[in-house]
Amino acid sequence: MTGKRTSLLLPNKNLTRRTALKGMGAAAGLMAAPGFVRYSQAQSSEPIRIGFQAHRTGIGAAYGRWYERVTTAAAQAINDAGGINGRPLEIVTEDDGTDPKRGAEVVEKFANQHKTDVVFGTLFSHVVVGSAPAAGELKMPYYVVSEGYHVASGSLNRYVFQPGITDVKAQVRAVGPWIAENVGKKITLVYPDYAFGHDHRDKFPERFEAAGGTVVGLVPIPPTETSFTRYFPQIPSDTEVIYHVMVGPGVLTFVKELGEFYGSSGPKLFGFIDSLEAVDINSPGLEFLDGSYFWEGMPRYLQPDASDAVKAYRAAVGIDDNGASVNDPKDVSTSAHMFGCWETLYIIKEAMEAAGYQGPADRAKLVEATEALTEFPEGPEHPQGLKVFSPMIHQSFGQQYISQVSGGKLNVVHTTSIEDGMYEPEADYTSMPL
Amino acid sequence: MLAAGAGPAFAHAADRGFVMLLPTGYYLFGGAAAVALSFAILTLMPPEPVTRLLRAKLRVAQLPFDDRAITSWLSFAVIVLLWLAGLFGSRDPLSNPLPLVFWTVFWVGFTLVVGLFGNLWRWLDPWYGPSRLILRTIGRADRAPLFSLPKRFGHGLAIVLLFAFGWFELVYPAPDDPELLAWVLIAYWLLNLAGILAFGHEAWTSRVELFSVFFGMISRLAPLQRVDGNRLFLRFPGGKLDDAGPLPVSAMLFLLLALATVSFDGLMRTFFWLGLTGVNPLEYPGRSAVMLPNTLGLLAVFAGLAGVFVLAVWLGRRFAGMRNPLTEMAGLLVWSIVPIALAYHFSHYLGALIINGQYALAAISDPLANGWNLFGTAGYHVVAGATAGYESAWIIWNLQSAAIIGGHLLAVLLAHALAFRLAGDARTAALSQLPLAFLMVGYTVFGLWLLSSPTGG
Repeated sequence: MTGKRTSLLLPNKNLTRRTALKGMGAAAGLMAAPGFVRYSQAQSSEPIRIGFQAHRTGIGAAYGRWYERVTTAAAQAINDAGGINGRPLEIVTEDDGTDPKRGAEVVEKFANQHKTDVVFGTLFSHVVVGSAPAAGELKMPYYVVSEGYHVASGSLNRYVFQPGITDVKAQVRAVGPWIAENVGKKITLVYPDYAFGHDHRDKFPERFEAAGGTVVGLVPIPPTETSFTRYFPQIPSDTEVIYHVMVGPGVLTFVKELGEFYGSSGPKLFGFIDSLEAVDINSPGLEFLDGSYFWEGMPRYLQPDASDAVKAYRAAVGIDDNGASVNDPKDVSTSAHMFGCWETLYIIKEAMEAAGYQGPADRAKLVEATEALTEFPEGPEHPQGLKVFSPMIHQSFGQQYISQVSGGKLNVVHTTSIEDGMYEPEADYTSMPL
Repeated sequence: MLAAGAGPAFAHAADRGFVMLLPTGYYLFGGAAAVALSFAILTLMPPEPVTRLLRAKLRVAQLPFDDRAITSWLSFAVIVLLWLAGLFGSRDPLSNPLPLVFWTVFWVGFTLVVGLFGNLWRWLDPWYGPSRLILRTIGRADRAPLFSLPKRFGHGLAIVLLFAFGWFELVYPAPDDPELLAWVLIAYWLLNLAGILAFGHEAWTSRVELFSVFFGMISRLAPLQRVDGNRLFLRFPGGKLDDAGPLPVSAMLFLLLALATVSFDGLMRTFFWLGLTGVNPLEYPGRSAVMLPNTLGLLAVFAGLAGVFVLAVWLGRRFAGMRNPLTEMAGLLVWSIVPIALAYHFSHYLGALIINGQYALAAISDPLANGWNLFGTAGYHVVAGATAGYESAWIIWNLQSAAIIGGHLLAVLLAHALAFRLAGDARTAALSQLPLAFLMVGYTVFGLWLLSSPTGG
């Protein structure tokens, strides 16, 4: 270690980007020491360089902060356990400003200037879509953590993967049957009237209707709207469930006004936690959500039956039982998505080890090795749960969580099966030239 | 490609969402009423007490030294270290000290310090020491500058530099990129060094170098005043304006541009502006997609603000039947914009100051991201929750409102005193300010609206 650190507020176990870097320094030091078994077979002691395309500024910054913390924690855990193929991981962070054009420039920088082995970690869909062509042209394996459907749709290229998180199409499909069987059969969808909302409008009904449900109403809300009461009369009176996917600064107002509109009666609610990711569920104005249901990618609150792997993951990334930072209870994590960074780094590790990856010349081999993966078993490397990987569409499918708000927490009431969300591949990247 | 599905839309629900739940309408109304009422009260009061208040001085200390060269060199040394960190340190703008120190500590924080304590930039100016050394070395230390800066330029070059700076901050996609920022700042330093060597430190820093011009204006508000080198006085905020002459037109425009820049910083993020430029506020496309509309927007806000201000002065001059030249009146009354500019600056950057200030604290301990811990803060965990949630939103909103309303109240007071200086009698002064008072009420409401309306950018 590079000298003692006196942290201001925290015990030393806390992770920051800096401690991870230092951890790597330590790993490099250990490698030089004779007889260090785990590194003894490494052919090169050069670190594996992971280009982290991070939203450090721009609209994604609040989410980028947690993606960065989880990435740092995962890199630290991998390094502590001996690195990849005996080589330590080095995270090279570049800020894309949450901007697609800048994103493409960052991919180029990773390839030409930093000479990273892969690029990883992008969250916002428009940045993924803007950066993917550069990754394809530069033949740079690009592992995104965005949950968007763009990878699985086949519209990107062979170098783009999303193996660590389920895409939105599968998420939306997965919750349909359970809602029809347990919450109500007549549903009205309230959604922002643009592509994100349309994805929900178009992809939700199939599985829901197959399970006996009916969509009785569609209430699109213009994205510029900031007051919602006047749209509520459009919700049919026989509605049993309102499915809401509102996003943006108006969400809190939306919930408050919905509560004022229906009072103590009214339909049941099912929402996507995307609406309130990183927002305290006990905030004033959100009282109306009590008893309602949410999709979660991974539970925010520690569940009574949590596995040791989940507990270890939560401890490593530094979140408490409520899913907030252990150092800062008001800093609620983006827990429904950020696990994807952790799992994706382990998938890169697995693929590199399978490919016998040595350096940038082996990038094509790495793509093929990733495509040869089919399953990621639940465990410390995949605490969110088992994932089934579809090589043709470069997309993983995993289980989803449905939680109910009660007692000021989100309690998991159902875990969907992987099959609930799965769909037939609609493209085949493996047939594209490398 | 874009039809590939939007995926998650993570438009941020927090922070501004909580502000939207607050009764902000009352604040807008109350702020407007307070500013209007203060104007009414002032018009009924004889102006002498205000003038006396502004002239009051309380000696508080004798400063031990006055040597700008030493502090200038120290400042320059720190700046060189920051350049090196920008060029060779972390690529992450939240780990590299250069963008954090420049944008957050210096531009946001230091501006407030200057507004409170006076023109410390006089000491920290990184050209003074180096330029004196160069001039002494070539034997020109005591001689007149090589060239004289043409009078007709006025503050025109400073306006160009301030616009470029504002554009880089608000419109350019990557102002936080550490390496790029280092090169920009190195180029800026060299450019100004050349200007100072050619035209003299005094002429160049009072009319061209943007920070010197800006801090010189902002510091007029500071309640501390230094007289004859080392005597320190406590003044009423803005009291130092009692001997301020009318600003020339170009300097007036510079000050208005400074206010326009921070106003546009707020405006460009609102649903209103995004809607106006055809951007879905829930699906902000990133800065690179809105460079043209935002460049035009910055220019338009500047032109609009300058136009409305001059119009208000012109109308007031007509109402009061005054004979003073319009340029003299506008040039003097524009000083009353300083507290508004400072209040906007505080309110708009408060959140950034709280969060990025913490990142800066961590980054300066490990400037090259190689494991140093120079000040023991390298492992500092950034408390992002400081601005999150309902309570924080309530506290921050109230601080912002207090600053905006307080800044405008002070502006009305200063305008009153300045108008009295121009008019010579209370009735004329009051009449001449009527349109300006309307403008200030309007700008109070605008400022509070910017801070409470939904944002997506």
